[in-house]
Amino acid sequence: MSAYSPRLSRLIEALRRLPGVGPKSAQRMAFHLLDRDRQGAQLLGETLVEALGGIGRCPSCRMFCDEGENCRYCSSSRTAAGQLCVVESPADLMAIEGGTSYRGRYFVLMGRLSPLDGIGPEELGLDRLQAQLAAGEVQEMIIATNPTVEGEATAYYLAEMARGQGVRVTRIAHGVPMGGELEYVDGGTLAHALSGRTPV
Amino acid sequence: MDHGRVQLEPCWLLSARPYSETSLLVEAFSERHGRIGLVAKGARGAKSRHRALLQPLRPLLLSWTQRGELAALTGVEANGPPPGLAGERLFYGWYLNELLLRLLHRQDPHPDAYRAYGEALAALPGAEAEFALRLFEKALLADIGYGLDIPEDIDPALRYLYSEQEGFQPSARGHCSGRALIALRDGEPAGEGEWRTELRRLMRERVRRQLGGRELETAKLLRQLRARV
Repeated sequence: MSAYSPRLSRLIEALRRLPGVGPKSAQRMAFHLLDRDRQGAQLLGETLVEALGGIGRCPSCRMFCDEGENCRYCSSSRTAAGQLCVVESPADLMAIEGGTSYRGRYFVLMGRLSPLDGIGPEELGLDRLQAQLAAGEVQEMIIATNPTVEGEATAYYLAEMARGQGVRVTRIAHGVPMGGELEYVDGGTLAHALSGRTPV
Repeated sequence: MDHGRVQLEPCWLLSARPYSETSLLVEAFSERHGRIGLVAKGARGAKSRHRALLQPLRPLLLSWTQRGELAALTGVEANGPPPGLAGERLFYGWYLNELLLRLLHRQDPHPDAYRAYGEALAALPGAEAEFALRLFEKALLADIGYGLDIPEDIDPALRYLYSEQEGFQPSARGHCSGRALIALRDGEPAGEGEWRTELRRLMRERVRRQLGGRELETAKLLRQLRARV
């Protein structure tokens, strides 16, 4: 039998759905909300319900966006830049947006090609991407999938698709991280860095 | 050496997928232990040193402790460079991996299949990549007890029909030419021609039978992608 009352144990179970939250942390959160911050708990509950009902996916870039509003990553000024950056996840989009000066459009795959997990072109929305390439507004497609085996295979097919539509394709460089030391970089990364060297 | 403790065992990495919050569930293939399922604790964390190494198709030296069905990964070192596969050839590599994952049980050594896997992977960047897949299928089926018995007296000019009971018999209705069967038997490609398609169909049918009629995901995905580009 559970040590908690039925409602309390439901709350703790629900909190455990969050990433990185185990039974101990969930209990701490539940007690905190109930004891110290009932107003905050109210806010959390309402915000969650509101978010679930009001946040969807942008039909053109597949990033999360508020229903009924224009996607902030698909504005006309971004479209005018003519660049489309393809990333695997919303977190990757945020990393590029926050860490670089890139201000073109995006396409979020929400995954990568992975036959052993049954993830194919349909799951990644490649039809939608192909339609955008065919529409002719994209002058350059920047592939920013991860440098993993799955990311490489995905990049290969993205490049083939873009070439088929006559769109210029580039791939982000991978190599030695800033502030890194060659001695501690693994062989594969170093080999990439060396083969992808640029004239100075 | 402790019981259940393995040090720096040469392995190929078949697949690595997310497992719990920061770990990876790794499937590897070793000569002495067969297919092994390993949990790499914390391998998805930002500080993991193993992440770059734990990639499919990579030859590795793995250390682990075996307790029950899943082993705990305790060490990873590179055992050579990754096979230089790009584009569609990556899918060929995945295909080999999927075959092993679907047809072999965990902790069941298959040294012949292990050797055949290494040879096939080495041949994948080359011109005879597809033929390497056929040879691997043949070797793997033989290793799990469903070998194709190709007779010595095959006539390259005849056509052959395969049946479970009688094996390969000459027949005008046969799906496979003698030339194709000789190539498969001897492991020597026979130049250009229909024989490649014949062998692909023959082996696909044999493999599918072992999988209970199901298709391999890699083959399906590759077909979908080819239809698009």
